[in-house]
Amino acid sequence: MDVGLLSQYIMNGLMLGMMYTLVAVGFTLFFGVLDIIKFSHGDVLTVGAFTGLATYIGLRSVGVSSTPLLLLAVLVVAILAMAALGMLIARYLVLPLRSAPALNTLLITLMLGTVLREMVRLFYPQGANPKPFPALLPTDSINLGQFNLRLDNAIMLAAGVTIIVGLRLLLNRTKLGLAIRAVAQDEETARTMGINFTAIVLITFAIGSALAAIGGVMNGLYYNEINFGMGLLLGVIGFSAAIIGGLGSIYGAILGGFLFAALQTIGAVALPFASAYKDVFAFTVVIALMAWRPTGLIQEKISERV
Amino acid sequence: MTYLLEARGLTRKFGGVVALDNLDLTVVPNEIIGLIGPNGSGKTTFFNVVTGIYGAHGGSVTFDGADITRASSRAVYHAGVSRTFQRSRLSLPLSIFDNIMIGNHKRLNQGLWFNLVRRGEFKREFEVNYAAARTLIEVFEPRLAERMFEPVAGLPMIDRRRIEICRALISQPKLLLLDEPSAGMTHDETKELMDDILQVRDLNRNLTIVIVEHEMGLIERITDRCVVLNFGRKIAEGPYRQVAVDRQVQEAYLGVE
Amino acid sequence: MPEVKQEPQAPLLPGVVAVALSTAYLIALLAVEKQPLVIGLLAFGIVAVLVAHYMDWLDPVGRSFAEREGVLSAYAVLAACVVAAFFHDNHFVLLLFVTVLLYAVATLGLNIEFGYAGVLNFAGASFFGIGAYTSAVLNTYTAVPHLLVLLIGGTLAALIGSLLLLPVLRTRGHYAALVTIAFALLLKTFLEVNDVLGGPQGMQVKGMSILGWSFNDNFEIGKIEMSFYLNYFVISMLLLCGTFVLVRRLERSWIGLDLDAIRLDETAASCFGLDIARWKITAFVLGNFVIGLAGALFGMVGGFVAPNNYTFADSLIMVSILLLGGIGNPWGVVVATFIVVVLPEKLQTIQEYRFLLYALIVIVVLLFRPEGLLPRPVRRYFPGGRA
Repeated sequence: MDVGLLSQYIMNGLMLGMMYTLVAVGFTLFFGVLDIIKFSHGDVLTVGAFTGLATYIGLRSVGVSSTPLLLLAVLVVAILAMAALGMLIARYLVLPLRSAPALNTLLITLMLGTVLREMVRLFYPQGANPKPFPALLPTDSINLGQFNLRLDNAIMLAAGVTIIVGLRLLLNRTKLGLAIRAVAQDEETARTMGINFTAIVLITFAIGSALAAIGGVMNGLYYNEINFGMGLLLGVIGFSAAIIGGLGSIYGAILGGFLFAALQTIGAVALPFASAYKDVFAFTVVIALMAWRPTGLIQEKISERV
Repeated sequence: MTYLLEARGLTRKFGGVVALDNLDLTVVPNEIIGLIGPNGSGKTTFFNVVTGIYGAHGGSVTFDGADITRASSRAVYHAGVSRTFQRSRLSLPLSIFDNIMIGNHKRLNQGLWFNLVRRGEFKREFEVNYAAARTLIEVFEPRLAERMFEPVAGLPMIDRRRIEICRALISQPKLLLLDEPSAGMTHDETKELMDDILQVRDLNRNLTIVIVEHEMGLIERITDRCVVLNFGRKIAEGPYRQVAVDRQVQEAYLGVE
Repeated sequence: MPEVKQEPQAPLLPGVVAVALSTAYLIALLAVEKQPLVIGLLAFGIVAVLVAHYMDWLDPVGRSFAEREGVLSAYAVLAACVVAAFFHDNHFVLLLFVTVLLYAVATLGLNIEFGYAGVLNFAGASFFGIGAYTSAVLNTYTAVPHLLVLLIGGTLAALIGSLLLLPVLRTRGHYAALVTIAFALLLKTFLEVNDVLGGPQGMQVKGMSILGWSFNDNFEIGKIEMSFYLNYFVISMLLLCGTFVLVRRLERSWIGLDLDAIRLDETAASCFGLDIARWKITAFVLGNFVIGLAGALFGMVGGFVAPNNYTFADSLIMVSILLLGGIGNPWGVVVATFIVVVLPEKLQTIQEYRFLLYALIVIVVLLFRPEGLLPRPVRRYFPGGRA
């Protein structure tokens, strides 16, 4: 295989890994503070991507044409809107069910995912069809010998790394981060220490959902296309990645995200004739991994939670 | 002397914490043993290791002549060990009768064909066991025998304890492990409950009991012998009046170094 | 032996009246087509149920169903036959009716897994689809007798479901949910890309035929022309009755108790000797078999299978039926299936919005009435008589 093709595969794998990681980190954050799985997380990503697209179209129609400005607006609106959505979900659907069986939370977020997905399909103009997503990053490429580095991919990767590092710093170096970790460690003790539990849960949901919004926009920029069902796939993969890495651990989520992307990329390289089966392969891997390591590679109780 | 239950060098760790540390504990048939000690001294862990919920990291457990160190919870139950839980673990949406029958598992025919097709035979088996459950619960509280098909969820704590104990006794186990039966109940309620248990024991002379309890009056009144644990180790053993005055035991409870 | 206190048996009349009124209402609802009439009739139905609820008229109905279930079940079957006879030449209504019956069968299968054993399955429509595709393939390429095809469809669904057993058994709660969701997405993608099974366009399915009696031909009784869907009505009704009896007997046996105990507290259950794996496997395999069986018949009824009919969203519809009706209550399943399947067909404006609508309804149910429309009563092993 020539170096150019190989580098493409590697780049593709890294980009996939970054997007999976952004989703997986959200699952891990929610599980950390509330011990719940929020199945609508992937669909929040979809809504984030569509919010970004709508912002773009809206601004273009009023004559804004500066690409950096558009990109900034798309990101800011998507992030803020999803952060707000995340808080609403936590406040009105997740927290009220705290005393009910865990199954009910699972079901309600699963159904909420359907609601979000269907709303995009039904109420976004022609939402049932895939939508082209504008290229808002420079698409030049740099030739490094045979390796062909696209600038937009490089920027997205760098942005992704910055976000993850930033989140890590937020959790480890700030008072807010300390509060989130305290709640994740032991809710009761955190409460007695004067931490506002509800506020921390809402903030955590805002952060996780904002990450999904970034993931959604990144997805659009990378594939130049978004559709109403994209979040379902990304949600399932992101959740698997979070589990493989050991739910509740941020490093686990990163490990899981990239591991999953690596498996998928290797699958694509090893079985090029079966490219139509790439999603079938991905889901088979999810199921096989659950059978092999149902609690993840890093065990839940040993790994540091959040 | 033959022991009914014999733990030798039993060890169990959680991360860095040693919950059971090389524990030797023996129980002879028909006695009532009190397992006491401060919070976190390993009493419930001992129950959990014996009943196969946790594995042991060292040592062995023998029950009725058979090694059950690595046996599953199922196998331990089938060998004749029943237990209650510190925090009541009844199935709240189910009826009183259903909850008691869960404990009667080994005496109920579990075959698919029998349950789905042989309804006549099933009905006979049902009636025999319904009668047994009524007879048992009448010892504790005749009022409950009239409410066999009401959900447990609406009942007060004392009734739930009674049902939990009936669930543990219905299969006529050889060994009953009681984990803090007084938790969440008043002094009088606890006394009443223990009297009922002793009454059942009078009917079934083969019953041996190990009881974990903080209510010392209760321990003094009903146990033949006590074992005192601290940090997973046995620090004293003997009749209650003897261990109660033991200096080590007093220090353990008062937290003196 | 102590006798169970003999209570006076609940009267039969309230149950019979309820069945009769429901039948009349159902006939009216299925007969009207003008949208304003449909809306008016639906509004009337809702108001009538609410009024009955507030006047405490529903309690006697509940009691007579609880204690005289055998007789009332027979009346319910009779009522279904009356409805079918009323629409004997109406293809559309009969097809809708048969769809309700088969969806009810499938959801009863899901109820065994989910409602009793607590094994999550968000791939119900996938197992339904496996049954339907089995019919499509076998009826097209082989001469296997069609009743046998139904059994093979169920068996295949159970077998393919068994592939998920290891991950489902080793995981709890949300993990198992993920496994079945992944399977639902996997199967749909697989059906779309696989050319042998017709790809996204799907396959035609030959209609059923037993001993030379072709189910897809209209027939006459006396001089009256009958819709061929009456054939399917009869066999679907038989299947529903069989499944209903199976589910009932299962619930009212030690096995039903085992499944409940495992769902509610696995640790306590294993301390009382229950074999967790055995019962979860039994429930999952039996449930998927029932779902596959219904799917196989549904494939022949519809005459056509395509990946888009067996999506994750369809699986969620089955879960919605279960939650709406009341988890664990087979009567709830039947009633909720009628609501969920018939409503979008009669009220065409909501057809497009049905996934959204049902997801919203389930959210509301979970928030405000998690036990469903007809909450599952406490188990009575021999209701009516003693105990």
